[in-house]
Amino acid sequence: AQSVIKLTTLVPDGSIWHRILIEQATEVRRSAGGAVEIRIYPGGVAGDDPDLVRKMRIGQFHAAALSVQGLTEIDEAFRVFQIPSFFESPEESFHVLDELTPLLRQRLDEKGFVLINWGYGGWAHLYSKRPLRSAAELRARKMFMWGGEERSIRIWRANGLQPLGLASTDIMMALQTGMIEVLTTTPLAALSLQWFRLVPYQLDPGFAPLIGATVMTKRAWNALPANARDGFIRSGRVAETRFRREIPVHEERAIAAMVERGLQRTSIDAQARREWDVLVDGIAAGTRGELVPADVYDQAVRSRARYRASSRTAQ
Amino acid sequence: MRHAAAANGPAGPADRADGPRGSIRRLHETGAGVERLLAGLALGLMAVLPLVDMGTRWVAGAGVPAARPLVQHLMLWVALLGAGLAAREGRLLALATPQLITRAGPRRVLRVLTGMFLTAACALLFRSALALVALEREAGTPLVLGIPVWVAQAIMPAGFALVGLRAIVRTSDDVPGRALAALAGAAGVWLATGPAWLEAVPAWPGVVAVIIMALLGLPIFAALGAVAALLFLGDGIPLAALPAESYRLAVSPTLAAIPLFTLTGFLLAEGNAAHRLLRVFQALFGWLPGGTAVVMVLIFAFFTVLTGGSGVTILALGGLAFHTLRADGYRDGFTMGLLTSSASLGLLLPPALPLILYGIVAQVSIEDLFIGGLLPGLLLIGMTAGWGIREGLRSGTARPPFRAREAFAALRDAKWDLFLPVFILVAIFGGFATLVEAAALTVAYAFVMQAIIHRDIARPRDLGRVLTRASVVLGGVLVILAAAMGLTSYLVDARVPMAAVEWMQQRVHSPLVFLLLLNLLLLAVGCMMDIFSATVVVVPLLVPLGLAYGIDPVHLGIIFVANLELGYLTPPVGMNLFLAAYRFERPLGEVMRSVLPLLALFAAGVLLITYVPWLTTGLLEATGRR
Ligand code: NA
Ligand code: NA
Repeated sequence: AQSVIKLTTLVPDGSIWHRILIEQATEVRRSAGGAVEIRIYPGGVAGDDPDLVRKMRIGQFHAAALSVQGLTEIDEAFRVFQIPSFFESPEESFHVLDELTPLLRQRLDEKGFVLINWGYGGWAHLYSKRPLRSAAELRARKMFMWGGEERSIRIWRANGLQPLGLASTDIMMALQTGMIEVLTTTPLAALSLQWFRLVPYQLDPGFAPLIGATVMTKRAWNALPANARDGFIRSGRVAETRFRREIPVHEERAIAAMVERGLQRTSIDAQARREWDVLVDGIAAGTRGELVPADVYDQAVRSRARYRASSRTAQ
Repeated sequence: MRHAAAANGPAGPADRADGPRGSIRRLHETGAGVERLLAGLALGLMAVLPLVDMGTRWVAGAGVPAARPLVQHLMLWVALLGAGLAAREGRLLALATPQLITRAGPRRVLRVLTGMFLTAACALLFRSALALVALEREAGTPLVLGIPVWVAQAIMPAGFALVGLRAIVRTSDDVPGRALAALAGAAGVWLATGPAWLEAVPAWPGVVAVIIMALLGLPIFAALGAVAALLFLGDGIPLAALPAESYRLAVSPTLAAIPLFTLTGFLLAEGNAAHRLLRVFQALFGWLPGGTAVVMVLIFAFFTVLTGGSGVTILALGGLAFHTLRADGYRDGFTMGLLTSSASLGLLLPPALPLILYGIVAQVSIEDLFIGGLLPGLLLIGMTAGWGIREGLRSGTARPPFRAREAFAALRDAKWDLFLPVFILVAIFGGFATLVEAAALTVAYAFVMQAIIHRDIARPRDLGRVLTRASVVLGGVLVILAAAMGLTSYLVDARVPMAAVEWMQQRVHSPLVFLLLLNLLLLAVGCMMDIFSATVVVVPLLVPLGLAYGIDPVHLGIIFVANLELGYLTPPVGMNLFLAAYRFERPLGEVMRSVLPLLALFAAGVLLITYVPWLTTGLLEATGRR
């Protein structure tokens, strides 16, 4: 009989991520000789990332293409990818992610999930109502933070920032009324959700990668025929490459489209650079052992140092 | 209530003769007292925590990050504790069909049958929730302040168990009846484990049986929950999926606004707010032809905005309004029709609960819905007021002259009540508060007004009573939402919304035809379902359809709520019809006849709202939101 894998995700119906998932599904079905069907539920119809994780644990769904928010729900190690300005570029974050993959794969496995492939949502930036040029200016503004992130809020506050815990559904109203003035999001989201109209200053370079992953419960994975698993792994590798190659292209286009409609790009002033570094380093240090498991944090720092050393040599 | 007082009083001879039974009853009463206390506390905390968060944010620049997750989870506790209390008082929302059966024999049989189904449904939900809690405990997700999520969730199985146990007791006065119910409960628990042979059995016979029972008076939440559970079981999906979805809705960040605005309504209903408003509207508009009728329309709309048409308006104000209109010479038939339908007015005005719920389920900006609903809401109120004026002109009812001095005095007396809507709007759109915080501020305003300015709520005991009453009504509604979410989850899982869009797009090409079909569909939905479960179950199906036909999402929301306003007045689930029949002590048929002309009037209004999108989008465009 044909077995069905139900895969849920927050990515919008018809988006580039959804299209790549559909191709992946076709490839798996082909590999399994039609014995496995992947049923995709896009657009968050089954809930936000934490709901999707819960529903996989229950067994209602078998797989999900999660953002880092869902991944941290499974394992705290993924919080290392949420540390602000921890990475200087998407390439640097990909390098660290690849080097940490065996460790992360194992940690997922211990929680009952199989990593199929990494995803990539884009490179998040700070968007603000007024231009940001220094740490002092950021400290003077109320910024959006996910409502449940009690510990992150504490760490950010300890570094003099003013995070306000809100729900994503509150963002539009909070921006309209000035309740928050700074928002971290990807250019693709800023454009498609029209947030950039309310926060028309984009701080370069970006803030953090929006990583993601397609994961499956071990139970469902072990029940799959070998050829279907091969299909998943093979198509996963293709999807991973495509995400890393194609999302930045879409992102550049999104930024260009926003600039055309009034978005302005700012950066930290040279003389304010040191103070900015102190701020982001302070937050990073605060997360170690508090949000991010210390061993994972240290491994990431070492991996990052290796990348920076090798890219310096290359120059 | 009298029963409670007797049990708590000094033990009389009868009590002593009762022996162990008396002490069981006392234990039962103490238990219910604890539940009332917990429910009241949970609801009170829901109002206080956002205020503390805001206060510290203003004073110290930093709020209390734990407040938000706590409020969201307190919602779950209010829902289930309230449902437990509603079950105890026999106030779980259900069709009133059994009241139509007069012969004792069939009535008793039906009562036992209903009790068995209710117990079985509770057992299913209990076992499913227990499975969810176990999973969450294993995952060990933290909530806040070192409390894990599973502890907050534990109220779900506990609550369903309480409702189930009470269902057993209420099934019958004798042991065999209760034993049957207990047996049904055991069957439910066993069924919930998802025995393998179930997958080979079609779900529909069970579903049909539950629907028949719902029509015969099985509480709505139990019917929705049982249908969802049977469908999930039929597909071999673990039942924990059902409470997982209820949990998802309960902790959604804005839902907490609903109990808080409802609590505001209850605070107002306590004491003399209605009399103050009646006096001021009477002084201002009483001189109009049909003046008193117009006044009632306005007051009913005012209260319904806050209570969400949960029937509080009719129950709280129905008697006063009826006697006032009768004294002014209005015909009883007209009065009944006007009041019954006025109680569902106001559902389109901010901060009406159906709009909040629609925004949450459809993921549409609630503020936009509030703005979009203003003109349509005023239109329906205007049309109803016009009906009152027409009656006044035709039958020459009393028209007290306008007296400036009285108007001024009445205004002064009711100034705080009248300022409340302004306060709410500023709180919502002022930019210093989220919707939930605005709702908490509104509760604070209403409390200060009633407790300090007017001294209508003078003692802590009065406040306790208001909190308990509100949580019982809320529990009844929220538990319906929770069960409805489970059914929706099944529909999404079975990809029904996608299929509906495909089916429709192949057959219907014009958006206008789609809107007409939508009106007919929603009329049917309104006949069968209450507004809350209809929103949860039907909206996820409608949103993709609306998108496909290019209907503005806010307009779709207003059409939806306006249509379901009609549903309050249409049999068989016309909630207001039953409440009016109960409150005015008239046969249901008479009440139904009395609302017919207003039903026609409302229908015309709904068509206007549907086919003149400007009524909804005009203000949105003017405020730069479109
Ligand atoms: Na769902
Ligand atoms: Na109805």
